Amino acid sequence: MSNQATAVPLKKDWEGGVSPFGVSYGKLFMWFFLVSDALTFSSLLCAYGFMRHKYFGQWAHPNEVFHHFPFLPGKDLPLAYVGFMTFDLIMSSVTMVLAVEAGHRKNRKQVMMWLFFTIIGGFIFVGSQCWEWYHFITGPEITATYQGVYRDYIMNGVHIINPHFTGANLIVNSYTMLPTFGDFFFCITGFHGFHVFSGVIINIIIFLMVANGVMDKRGHYEMVEKAGLYWHFVDLVWVFVFTFFYLL
Amino acid sequence: MADFFEEYEGYPNYEKMAIHDEAHGKTTRKKLWMVFWIMLVVTLFELFIGFKYSEVLGETNKEYLFIFLTIAKAFFIVFVFMHLGDEKKALKYVIIAPYTLFIFYLAFMVITEGVYTYHIKDIISAVAMHQ
Repeated sequence: MSNQATAVPLKKDWEGGVSPFGVSYGKLFMWFFLVSDALTFSSLLCAYGFMRHKYFGQWAHPNEVFHHFPFLPGKDLPLAYVGFMTFDLIMSSVTMVLAVEAGHRKNRKQVMMWLFFTIIGGFIFVGSQCWEWYHFITGPEITATYQGVYRDYIMNGVHIINPHFTGANLIVNSYTMLPTFGDFFFCITGFHGFHVFSGVIINIIIFLMVANGVMDKRGHYEMVEKAGLYWHFVDLVWVFVFTFFYLL
Repeated sequence: MADFFEEYEGYPNYEKMAIHDEAHGKTTRKKLWMVFWIMLVVTLFELFIGFKYSEVLGETNKEYLFIFLTIAKAFFIVFVFMHLGDEKKALKYVIIAPYTLFIFYLAFMVITEGVYTYHIKDIISAVAMHQ
């Protein structure tokens, strides 16, 4: 605690005139927002759990779906790339918390450095997810004729069912008989990916604000801490998505 | 908003309370890096179990182990990285308690219902075929 805070004796928690939670208005409502967002993600994952138990035994094995790695085509490396993505997000979470810590010391240069690393980590994650979606949609083997993209199509008025269909879309996928598998994958990882993307945007805005000296003018770096809360929440959700989608 | 509270006499400046010096920062950083190594080891362990030893452990045990490790990681993220462990008791409870109550109850209901639906699926389709 600093000297500014102890200069005025604090009243009791619920007598008014102080925050009973001991945090500023903005930070408290960031927490409330995160709780409501966590409830949304939890209900999505619970719905996923329902389907998983309803179609017990018919669900796709993640080891057989997510087993490719960039620049190593044809190699069977189950979950290696998802493991890398998890590592990347945890790493960017650490750099974010170091930025917050540097902000507590009002060290502008260090805040900018750690925030920069966090933004890079976020971009790596979003790019990785794009790559993974691409491979999930086109399937494990991309044929030269590019015929595997559509399951059925109409050519010259004849309805043709493609036996070489690989990949996934919202209606059908080649990994299971269940369209629900693809639907939940797109919905949950897409919703999470959108959160990561908006987190990167928020981090960039905060980076520019720090670079322009806005925080120094205010006298505190709490905005970095609030952006950090959101970024850690994104990491937290990924920990659960990683377990329930890729490991179980 | 900040100006509004500054005008109110005696309102503590919570934004500036977290500011600390270099020595305090050093111990904080040490703790953060330690938590990072714990999380990394746990994740590598999960991956290792995931595609090497799933047969040895058995499907159900594996699931329980993964869920336990995930909740452990979530605890570290929320209480160390998000600094909820350093906050007041009131804030800790107002964040954790409602969420935990709702979600454990929801997960319990939904999973129970899912297992039940799995068991009666064949009965439903058999009845539908008869009609």
